[in-house]
Amino acid sequence: MMRPRWRKVFSDLLDNKLRTLLVVISIAVGVLSIGVIAGTYVIISEDMSVSYAAHQPANIELRTDNFDEDFLATIRNTPDIAQADGRRVVNLRVRRVGSNQWVTLDLVAMDASEVDHLNRLDPISGATVPERREVILERNAFDDLKAAIGEELEFELTDGSRKTLKVAGIVQDPTTSAGDFLAPPLAYIRMETLDDLHQPRLFNRLYATVSRGQDNDDEIREIAAQLRDRIEKGDHVVIRTRLSKTNEHPMASTVNAILGILGALGVLIVFLSSSLIANTLNALLNQHLRHIGVMKLVGGRSQQILAMYLALILSFGLLALAISAPLGGQGAYALSAFIAGKMGFTLLGYRIVPIAFIIQATVALVVPIVSGILPVINGSRISVQKAFSGDMPSGEKRREHAKPADTAPRSRPRFFLPRPLLISLRNTFRRKRRLVLTLFTLTMGGAIFIAVFNVRVTLHDYIGQIGKYFLADVTLDFDRPYRLSEVEQAAMKVPGVVEVEGWAFISAEILFPDGMPADNLNILAPPADSALVAPVGLKGRWVHANDEKALAVSEALLDKFPDLQPGDNISLKIDGKEEAWQVVGIFKFTGREGVLAYAPYEYISRRTNLANRAYSFHVLTTDHSRKNQDSMAEDLDKYFRQEGFHIREARAGLSRMDTAAESLDILVTFLLVMALLTAVVGSMGLTGTMGMNVLERTREIGIMRAIGANDFEIIRTVIIEGMVIGIISWFLGALLSFPFTVMLSTIVSLAIFYTPIDLVFTPSGFFIWLGLVIVLSVVASALPARNAARLTIREVLAYE
Amino acid sequence: MPSNRKIEPISSGPAPLAEKTAPSPILIEIHNVVKVYSSAAGDFTALKGINAQVGTGEFLGIIGKSGAGKSTLLNMITGVDHLTSGEVIAHVGGKTVSVHAMSENNLALWRGLNFGIVYQSFQLLPMLTLVDNILFPMDLCGLYRRRASRERAMELLRLVELEEHARKLPNFISGGQQQRVAIARALANDPPVIVADEPTGSLDSATADTIFQVFEHLVENGKTIIMVTHDNSLAPRFSRRLYLADGEMAAT
Amino acid sequence: MIQMHSVVKTFKNAAGEFVVLKGVDLAVKSGEFVSIVGKSGSGKSTLLNMITGIDHPSTGQVLVGGVDIYRMTESKRSRWRGRNLGIVFQFFQLLPMLTLLENVMLPMDYVGAFEADARPERAMELLKMVGLESQAHKLPSAVSTGQQQSAAIARALATDPPVIIADEPTGNLDSRSADVIIQLFDDLVRGGKTIAMVTHDPSLTERTTRTIIISDGELIDETVALALPLLSHRQMLDVTKKAERFTFQPGAAILKQDEHVDYFFMITSGRVEIVLRSPRQEITVASLGPGEFFGEVELIRGGKSIANIRAASGAPVALVALHRDEFNKLVAASPLTEDTLGKIVQARIEENRTATRKGKRL
Repeated sequence: MMRPRWRKVFSDLLDNKLRTLLVVISIAVGVLSIGVIAGTYVIISEDMSVSYAAHQPANIELRTDNFDEDFLATIRNTPDIAQADGRRVVNLRVRRVGSNQWVTLDLVAMDASEVDHLNRLDPISGATVPERREVILERNAFDDLKAAIGEELEFELTDGSRKTLKVAGIVQDPTTSAGDFLAPPLAYIRMETLDDLHQPRLFNRLYATVSRGQDNDDEIREIAAQLRDRIEKGDHVVIRTRLSKTNEHPMASTVNAILGILGALGVLIVFLSSSLIANTLNALLNQHLRHIGVMKLVGGRSQQILAMYLALILSFGLLALAISAPLGGQGAYALSAFIAGKMGFTLLGYRIVPIAFIIQATVALVVPIVSGILPVINGSRISVQKAFSGDMPSGEKRREHAKPADTAPRSRPRFFLPRPLLISLRNTFRRKRRLVLTLFTLTMGGAIFIAVFNVRVTLHDYIGQIGKYFLADVTLDFDRPYRLSEVEQAAMKVPGVVEVEGWAFISAEILFPDGMPADNLNILAPPADSALVAPVGLKGRWVHANDEKALAVSEALLDKFPDLQPGDNISLKIDGKEEAWQVVGIFKFTGREGVLAYAPYEYISRRTNLANRAYSFHVLTTDHSRKNQDSMAEDLDKYFRQEGFHIREARAGLSRMDTAAESLDILVTFLLVMALLTAVVGSMGLTGTMGMNVLERTREIGIMRAIGANDFEIIRTVIIEGMVIGIISWFLGALLSFPFTVMLSTIVSLAIFYTPIDLVFTPSGFFIWLGLVIVLSVVASALPARNAARLTIREVLAYE
Repeated sequence: MPSNRKIEPISSGPAPLAEKTAPSPILIEIHNVVKVYSSAAGDFTALKGINAQVGTGEFLGIIGKSGAGKSTLLNMITGVDHLTSGEVIAHVGGKTVSVHAMSENNLALWRGLNFGIVYQSFQLLPMLTLVDNILFPMDLCGLYRRRASRERAMELLRLVELEEHARKLPNFISGGQQQRVAIARALANDPPVIVADEPTGSLDSATADTIFQVFEHLVENGKTIIMVTHDNSLAPRFSRRLYLADGEMAAT
Repeated sequence: MIQMHSVVKTFKNAAGEFVVLKGVDLAVKSGEFVSIVGKSGSGKSTLLNMITGIDHPSTGQVLVGGVDIYRMTESKRSRWRGRNLGIVFQFFQLLPMLTLLENVMLPMDYVGAFEADARPERAMELLKMVGLESQAHKLPSAVSTGQQQSAAIARALATDPPVIIADEPTGNLDSRSADVIIQLFDDLVRGGKTIAMVTHDPSLTERTTRTIIISDGELIDETVALALPLLSHRQMLDVTKKAERFTFQPGAAILKQDEHVDYFFMITSGRVEIVLRSPRQEITVASLGPGEFFGEVELIRGGKSIANIRAASGAPVALVALHRDEFNKLVAASPLTEDTLGKIVQARIEENRTATRKGKRL
């Protein structure tokens, strides 16, 4: 037999099921989102790196000129190198036989015996080791090509001829291009197949692991430098270096930063739901004042009453936990699986994350208590007298205890608002504390919602800005250099072409003053007066045609050289030789892909003995739409091949942005889901408030009915009140969205682009939220309104 | 009320008052009690210096019109409301206490053990069955021994002739029945004093009469009862009467 | 104006079914001022709720102003109620967020009575009528309960409804405020309104034109209530149920002197004459009207009729008659009634003697 006091708590829980449901859901939403995010955070940060490390990632990846087996053997003997594999990577176009959809991919040729050494592959289906004239597709390549196992793929070779290889299997490569959003998809062949592709059986990539300091950037860099010295002494050239740690996924920091943002939003949702809890508990205690009075009357002490209501709150929390703990576990795993899929690594398997559960339990039990403790303490301390007169201490004064303003006659109105409207308006402001809490949740939801829209536009604008460095509608890459005039003449014959520029390119390494390599540097060399680069300058100037050994660098270099100013010299290693170059300007660009630099074509082409010639041409057309770029690329490709040019690839200019835009959209979707969650919490708060208002005003509604208000009038009275609250919250939310946009954009762009970005505001977020908040407030008040209209007057007047 | 249905005091509860404070028949002393209500509209003096005593075993009627201050006076005695100045001394449960000086919490327990309070509006907890409503004060005041208290609660329900409704919720019985449950609840901790504020105010005359009979029966069994009413026709039924008008003692 | 036909109301709850109204028939004419009286739980508020359309009857029909109000939806009924009924409750009358004036205007807004421009003026007039024009722009919380009640009456009149329904309108008012309210009601009835009011204050029922007593969900025969006011409601109801009803044409004999009397008669309408007949002449001892009774002398004393009783000329006489056995039981159960009847019997016998003496003398 339950003690009467606990029986009362139990009945309080069950008697008003709607209220219990509302409180439980509002706690559960916060607990759920925190649980999903905390669980995902733990699963991802454990599995991402564990899975990465399990695939033997190379610590050092060098892009070199051709080298052979013998040279590889000498490299294997370098001190501190644990393992080294050579591979040949060729960039080729491929399509399914019969399809005209070309896909560019990096074809990796490796020794069949080395398949399992470094950068291990996970089988998805079919074979993992290709036989001769077979190709194994990486998952991304498979997604792009949609070729089935056993199907023939047609490769276009560098000399223009075509060769078909059979798809033998599909694998996942979690390491090779991890962390590189813009990397082309991969496919794998064995070295022998290179013969069929008219390629030498030589390596141009070196993958190596270190035998010490696998997780130490400095040690890896040091060993890599030694290795490069050795290669260069062996008369080979290192074009690019990429270093990574063994036990940390290259994307870990980015993913963690994004999860951090989602986590912050989760905390905010908890915060909002706590104000909702406070609101509901306040109302509950107000309704229970008489009960408290009775309990005190028959001998109940404050502690006993406090204990009863804390037990009630804990029950709400436990119910919420019971709902959200299993859901949170499932959700965390589902979200992790989604991210793992996108990032190309595998999870260790479903599991319960104890820390996530502990966080959920803490939030579910502590947050309601914290937000409810004040009204509960006030309620438990109230004197019997006040409890019976319905006067909540430090709470809201009932109107019966008139303030001086109320005792004075209201000023005689000049004109009369319709009374039904007046009721809605005055009702809105009757419960001020409740209104404030409701407005708070709804406003926060709205502000985040609007901010997310702004962030989305800001990010896309930034992508657009990056596009300013790639204004060409089509880039043509040839396998050998052509004269500028020759290509220009040919290109101008293709309808739609407006202008053609030849661009040069060299790659270099930036060195610290002590001679240690700091980073790779891709130096693009467009004509100094190029129309196809519109740089966003930060400091200094753009390059001039007569600049020599001068360059403009992207701001990412500031990470390595924080004090860098225009006019400073930096050391570059080009073709194995150290040189001092002057930095003439710094421009804004994402740091995602390392440091980028521009130098004038005029100088670089001379230096590379390619004056008036180029491998790469950038074409401007009349129409800059993606669709037109694609068809222009195709037309140009066809035309140049037809004219006997050795063209490797013709690419739509905007295609560079595809992957970046896609990954941004995923992020924005996440943000939007969180924003919607806050909006849901906000509108639940509104539903609760309207429900409580209606409940408290049941008798008033009865009176309205008794004097002639029909269903429509009653519903309208309630809904207008809800809409007034919604619209006020919209105004506040719109204001608050500005600082939120700044905060969110900065965090997101630092996480993704490694650089802060310029804010862009869009009216669409404001308008969509206005529409949404009106709909939400109508929906939120519709249920209470319908309940209000349903009450027969007898019930209404019987309600005490 | 059949006399064989008599409630025995529970062993753990306070013993009947008469045995302990035998030398002093005075139960409650009220000295110069003033109560002022302050509001934005101004001060309102509800009690203007009341002096009175309540003797053990009395059936005291406090009679006056609405607004005379009689409920306020009752609230001063039970400590439900705080006085502005003056003293209320109670000699109940074998101890002498200054009601006006006790903390809210001590008051609650003291009141729970020594006073049974009955209101015009019953004040039952709607979510608890009748028997649970009666068990509630025993639970809160620590006089709750599962088996014994349940038996006592049933006995009290029998006293007010509602035992067959024990498992019903208050809303499912009539007003008169609810008031009888309220009286049974007031007796739960076997307090020496019963305080009733217009207990028959919302009942029809026949029901009111049965309630009155219950009170008379309780007085016969040694309880002290203080009852507030505006109905002067009830006056002859009290053992003593206090008349209040405009916050002051009146002659009749 | 108000007609109820066999209205039954059953409430269901966890405790079971509970019949609150057991087939009530009632007719209230236009211009009547009716009080409805009953103990708590007798069903009087439920009865009122049936008239206002606030609650549904389980079976039966309610016509107000010729309209069958339960053939409308709840929503339409609200509209109808706003136009045709002014309702005054005991507690909680006014909407706290509106001033008195706005409260009075609200019903007109809801049902679209009067031009929008004319509403403030009309509301002000009504407030003036109840003496609240100076408080018109105050919120209800700033005026006294009595003033709130007066404002509620002003509001009940806002749409100029023909019927006013009031549930204990003076229940929580001091006697002076109550007087003002009743005075107001009197004026309204004189102005042609029909008023039905629930109350348990006997001083109010005195001022109404008609009192309907309800006990245990049934109406007590008004004749019984008038004739035997000292009975408890339950006893009255018992009589109502056990009584038989007779009608006599003008001049028809009801009882003959020296014949055996089996009934106690109460007069519903018409008049009867008590006539003593000596061989030579007729002496009219008394003339009795509605609410009066006869036959008690004989039943109490066990004798035969001491006089001739006949319907007076002019109108037929309707009687409610209680059989001797029932009457005796009743008298035995009600000492007060027995006492009073005893006195009346004494008086009447005395009357008869006097009359006989006079007759003999003549």
